[in-house]
Amino acid sequence: MKIHIVYAGRNYPLSQQMPSALDLPAGASLAAALAALTSLLEPDTALPASCLVAVSGTHAGTVGRCVDRPLRDGDELLLIAPVAGG
Amino acid sequence: MPEIDLSAANTLSPHELARYARQIGPGVLTIEGQARLKAARVLVTRAGGVGGPAAQALVMAGVGRVVLAHGGALHTADLNRQVLGGEDLVGQGRAVPFARRLQKLNRFVTVEAIDHEPDQQEALRLAREVDLILSCAPTFAERLCLNRAAVAAGVPLIDAAQWGLTATLMVLVPGHTACLRCVYPEDPPFEESFPVLGAISAAVGSLAALEAIKLLSGCGEVLAGRLWLIDAYQGRNTQVQLQARADCPECGAAPPARATDTANPVGT
Ligand SMILES: [Zn+2]
Repeated sequence: MKIHIVYAGRNYPLSQQMPSALDLPAGASLAAALAALTSLLEPDTALPASCLVAVSGTHAGTVGRCVDRPLRDGDELLLIAPVAGG
Repeated sequence: MPEIDLSAANTLSPHELARYARQIGPGVLTIEGQARLKAARVLVTRAGGVGGPAAQALVMAGVGRVVLAHGGALHTADLNRQVLGGEDLVGQGRAVPFARRLQKLNRFVTVEAIDHEPDQQEALRLAREVDLILSCAPTFAERLCLNRAAVAAGVPLIDAAQWGLTATLMVLVPGHTACLRCVYPEDPPFEESFPVLGAISAAVGSLAALEAIKLLSGCGEVLAGRLWLIDAYQGRNTQVQLQARADCPECGAAPPARATDTANPVGT
C-alpha cells in the first residue's frame, strides 16, 4: 500500500532528502512507517523526537511518543517539526 | 465560551455602534457579541511579527482590554515584520511605544504594556485576570510557560507560531481540548534566529486574533482543539484534530474549566 509523506515546519531540509511516499505491506502500522523513514536517514540520525505526527488529519502524538495504529492505503502521514517563531 | 461580564457598563454607546457598524451583522458579530468583546480582556505576548498584528486586530475589533507583554528592544533585523513600530524605534523597548500606538487606534478600548516577559508566577497572575491568552512568543519555553498558566487558570490559549513561510495556529481550551504540553510532550529544540517573512507572521497573527474574537464574542465556528498548518512555501493548508494526552503533566489529571457553558464550550 502507498502512504504519502508530508514534511512541514522546520523539516524542509529533511524533505529534500526523503521520499514523498512509502510503499509498505498491507496492514503496516504507523510505527512501521516511521521506522521505514528512519532507515532512509543518514547513519546516526533520527527524526526529531518532538516532531508532531498526524495521519490523514488526526493527531497521533510525536515521533518520540506516538500512539501506534494501522495505516490504510492512501493515508497521508504528516510530520511537522514544531515551529515557535513569534 | 469564556465567562464574560455583560453588565450595563459593557453595553455599547451610539458612538461605539457607529464605529463597529461594518462588523455587526449577518456572518460577522452580533450586538451581544460586540458587547462581549468590549468586556473581554486578552493578554498578548509577545509584540513581534505575530503578536503585533494580533494585538492590532484585537484593538481594532474592540476588545476592551488588551495587555501587551514584551521585553527587550527593537532591532533592525526585526523591522521586516513589525506593524507597530519602525526605524525610529530601533534600540528602544517595544511594549510601551507599541501600546501607545495601539491606543491611538481605538479610544473605546484600553491597551496596557508590560515591558518584560512574564515569568511563571506573573503569567499565572495575568492568566487569572484575563479571558484569553494569545501566545506569540519566540521560544517554546515561553509558550509552555503560558500554557501552564492558562491551564491552571482555566482560560483558553491560542498559540500562533511561524518558521520560514510556515505557520501553525492552535486554539486550546482547558477542560475541553488538548493543551500545548499534550502537543509537545518533549521540549522541541530552540532556534534563536528563525527565518521569517512579515507576510506570513502577520497572516497567522491576524488569524489568531480572529479565533480570539470568535471565541470571546461567541460568534462563528472556533477551531477549538485543532492545529491549523499553513505551509505557504509548499502551498499547503492542513488541519489536524489534536488529541489530549491522558498522561499530560499539565492537563492530564484533572483539566480545569472556567467556562460555565460546557455544552457549548467554544461559543460556536
Ligand atoms: Zn495537556
